[in-house]
Amino acid sequence: MNHEEFETIAALDAVGAATAGETRSLAAHAESCDACRRARDEYAEAATLLARELDPVPPPAEVRERIAGIAESSNVIEAEHRFNPWWLAIAATLFLALWGWREIGIRVARERIATQQAEIRGLSEEKNRLAAQNEKLASIASAETRTIALAGQEMSPSASARVFLDPTRRRAIVFFYNMPSNPTDKSYQLWIIRGDQPKPQSAGVFDVTASGSATISIDNLPVMTEIRALAVTMEPRGGADQPTEKKFYVMGGMS
Amino acid sequence: MNAAAMLRTDPSVTPTSLLPAVAGGDVNAFEDLYDRYSSTLYALLIRILGNCEDAQEVLQETFVKAWTSAKMFDAVRGSEVAWLISIARSRGIDRLRSRRVRSDREDEAGREISFVSGFVDRTSGADQAIQSEQRVAVRGALAELPDAQRQALELAYFEGLSQSEIAERLHEPLGTVKTRMQLGMKKLRDRLQAFR
Repeated sequence: MNHEEFETIAALDAVGAATAGETRSLAAHAESCDACRRARDEYAEAATLLARELDPVPPPAEVRERIAGIAESSNVIEAEHRFNPWWLAIAATLFLALWGWREIGIRVARERIATQQAEIRGLSEEKNRLAAQNEKLASIASAETRTIALAGQEMSPSASARVFLDPTRRRAIVFFYNMPSNPTDKSYQLWIIRGDQPKPQSAGVFDVTASGSATISIDNLPVMTEIRALAVTMEPRGGADQPTEKKFYVMGGMS
Repeated sequence: MNAAAMLRTDPSVTPTSLLPAVAGGDVNAFEDLYDRYSSTLYALLIRILGNCEDAQEVLQETFVKAWTSAKMFDAVRGSEVAWLISIARSRGIDRLRSRRVRSDREDEAGREISFVSGFVDRTSGADQAIQSEQRVAVRGALAELPDAQRQALELAYFEGLSQSEIAERLHEPLGTVKTRMQLGMKKLRDRLQAFR
């Protein structure tokens, strides 16, 4: 490559348009060539004319304060470095080591706290779940609890259900067994047939497991004297306001 | 006498270099350096980055670099302002490439520059006069460049585009673009003699 070619590269390099390889070869050549080094410097200076043409825009005052602050503080640090006795350097090193050790300790403690908090959350959820189960068991175990058996009907002769009804709390738990699997677009719906109303009242919607079992809780039951029977139909998923089919899967009345 | 000729003959238009004092840790000189050139560098960085927030960050980086590296300045290689501009431009282009702010540049620049009129301009009256005259002279020099040459140079200088990216942007052969930039830079270099 001759001087003229290097000068071309210098012209492009000044505006950042030379390739990395060209820039490297120019730098290497300029080390030993005064003319090309001068050309490179002159082109670099000439390129800045593009910036010097722009209308100046004063930056916000806080930028000046920040930059001046950096310069002043770096002077202070430099002055401190110049006059630091050897023991201060050792003390600083020790301080940094202790600080680092402390930081590691804090990080480990934070991780431990996070783990413990997760465990506490898990235990709290478990406690809530057990409390709910206990409440259900209390309903079943109460001396006043009444049991109603629901028998399988024509649609599912082998199905059955057992209702544990707590009249004091007006609450019931119903266990279903051997129910046919409900299709994905259908749900089972439990109905309360009341003596004081002509239409059945929905008591809940449920799906059964693969083995045909299910458990549902019912709150705010009508008073015992108003309940005549309980029955289950299959309804569109999510349930219906009133039974859409007259065929029951399980059914049973109050004795 | 045109502005360039005036700059060449009037010694008062060449301000005293502050970088030797800055290299010695003189904070006052550093603040003077900031007051003298920050508006020029900030305008350049807004032109490159297109938003004031990025421009302020890079302006700070530029002056911190100037503070810590003032000893590296070699007056034989170029002027004080060119040295600072080179630092600012290099860092601005790095930021532009890393943050990919190109797409928002024009809109944000137009909006944010309108806010700066209330900011304090600490450039001294003498410095302002010098810079204003120099700007007129520089504009005169740049006005002599054909549009095609100037456009190619500006794409490289302000947008950090490579030769091939410029060729693609302008739909011109690579060789044509290189020739334009080379001719444009040669003219600028010739005009530069008027500013030294």
